[in-house]
Amino acid sequence: MIEANGLTKIYGAKTAVAGVSFTVRAGQVTGFLGPNGAGKSTTMRMIMGLDRPTSGSVTVNGLRYAQHKAPLREVGALLDAKAVHTSRSAYNHLLAMAATHGIPKARVHEVIGMTGLDAVARKKAGGFSLGMGQRLGIAAALLGDPQTLILDEPVNGLDPEGVVWVRNLVRYLAGQGRTVFLSSHLMSEMAQTADHLIVIGRGRVIADAPIRDIITGSGQSRVRVRTDQPDTLRQLLAARGASIEVPEPEMLEVTGLQAKTIAALALENQVLIYELTPLVASLEEAYMELTKDDVEYHSLSAAEAGN
Amino acid sequence: MSSPTAESTSPHEPAPSFSAPVHFGGRRSQPGPTFFRVLNSEIIKFRSLLSTLILLASTAVVMVGFGALSAWGTGQFTDAATRDPQAGGRMAAQGGDLAVSAPTSGIAFAQLILGSLGVLLMSSEFTTGMARSTFAAVPKRLPAFAAKLVVVMVTSFAVTAVSIWVAGMVAVPILDNYGLKLDLGSSQSAKLLLVNSIYVAAVAAIGMALGTLLRNSAGGIMSLVGIFFVAPIAFQLIPGDFFKEARKYLPGNTVDPVAAAQHVPDTLEAWQAGLVLGAWVVIPVLLAAVLLKRRDV
Repeated sequence: MIEANGLTKIYGAKTAVAGVSFTVRAGQVTGFLGPNGAGKSTTMRMIMGLDRPTSGSVTVNGLRYAQHKAPLREVGALLDAKAVHTSRSAYNHLLAMAATHGIPKARVHEVIGMTGLDAVARKKAGGFSLGMGQRLGIAAALLGDPQTLILDEPVNGLDPEGVVWVRNLVRYLAGQGRTVFLSSHLMSEMAQTADHLIVIGRGRVIADAPIRDIITGSGQSRVRVRTDQPDTLRQLLAARGASIEVPEPEMLEVTGLQAKTIAALALENQVLIYELTPLVASLEEAYMELTKDDVEYHSLSAAEAGN
Repeated sequence: MSSPTAESTSPHEPAPSFSAPVHFGGRRSQPGPTFFRVLNSEIIKFRSLLSTLILLASTAVVMVGFGALSAWGTGQFTDAATRDPQAGGRMAAQGGDLAVSAPTSGIAFAQLILGSLGVLLMSSEFTTGMARSTFAAVPKRLPAFAAKLVVVMVTSFAVTAVSIWVAGMVAVPILDNYGLKLDLGSSQSAKLLLVNSIYVAAVAAIGMALGTLLRNSAGGIMSLVGIFFVAPIAFQLIPGDFFKEARKYLPGNTVDPVAAAQHVPDTLEAWQAGLVLGAWVVIPVLLAAVLLKRRDV
């Protein structure tokens, strides 16, 4: 279990993490989702005791990371696929890590086998592809057979086979009752892997809920309506408390009313409608919706950029 | 790729490997980092880098090479001197002095190479990102720092001592050719070997402290060169008694007073020089340790 309490990190004038509090529970995969620069990696480095929080605290299984007697046996982390000396072989890297905790050589070979690194284990880690680097990072995280796993963007750079492998691995580990905390900026990846989602934007927690709630919570009864009397219908719907957007001249997007209610209202008032579509938000849309005000780097569309 | 066939044919299914965690039955009997485990880890890291081994080998080659060159030069010099009957006696005496220092004549290069190695071993942790792995495994940080310091200093001492000894073995027959005697078993030879080896270990420690403080290979090595090569020359060129006096306290000028048979004029006393070199090591190392503990990795 990972517990963050008012965790804050300020670098000079920039607040990377602004007082986040959350709990990551054992036995499930918790996704840590946010756009680039949202503070995910900083939060994870603070969990691992690498960055000192400006204020607040974070504990793993009740203790700060550095207070654990055998930290690698408690928490395994992939913070950065390149947290390796580029001139050292993968095998020697793992051997040196294992040596700090008296982890036997047999376990080093075991994690090399598990992560499919056998063929390249004796090669310099600096020559690894991003995907191989990720596998090495995951191998290092698994060395101590830890109860808690923290993986920062583990599928970044993996091929489709590797993505499926990571997904199965984290689901398997969580199934064994371990705590798995997984970050990504890809909503689609989270939708397939995580049970619980913590969404972060600009250093603040925006949502912290089971993944199901996040999908349905945002997609609540939004309905697209096309009509040739948009003004009349808009007044009618507004009178019933709905919020209405008008993306196109004859199209309304209605939030807060069911499709059936809208149809009944139109029928009563003799308004012709020629489309009535309930809109269910995908997780991707839900994510965009949640973070649209909290993205640090907005991309300009081509038209805007041209001006 | 989430089809069942793709998953079942995946060659890296995690399940089997985890189903038999045989090595981890006695979790409590296998605690975490002890100093000797961390030291072992640092030794593995040290010996698994080709660049480190190359630097050690070049130190030995340069030391032995300069020992041989110096023995040959001393012989030539003495030869020339004996043909000049006036200066003969005085020169011969000086030739004897030079002979005893032949094995350590490459020490300036040993200190540069091994000092740079000290810088690199720590700075490369930060430039490659390895530091995140190192300090995640040893979150108290100082045991890893101390272990690395031990590895750096012991290796530097050993490589320098062996190189000086081999250089001596090579120099003896060359000097013998010119009728000069070099007794490697003499107390002065032993003293030179010991003092110079300790000195190079100290320079390596200073290098490691600089690498820790600056976290940058080029910056660390340039600082080292500044302290050991530029400052002595600059201090000599700047007029005024202050710099003349200050020059004595530079770390590079602490070896001669300690190693010399008699007191060399215009240098510190042996005990003073020892203390000054000690301070040059202890202060940066302590500063590096404190900042390493406090700063973000």
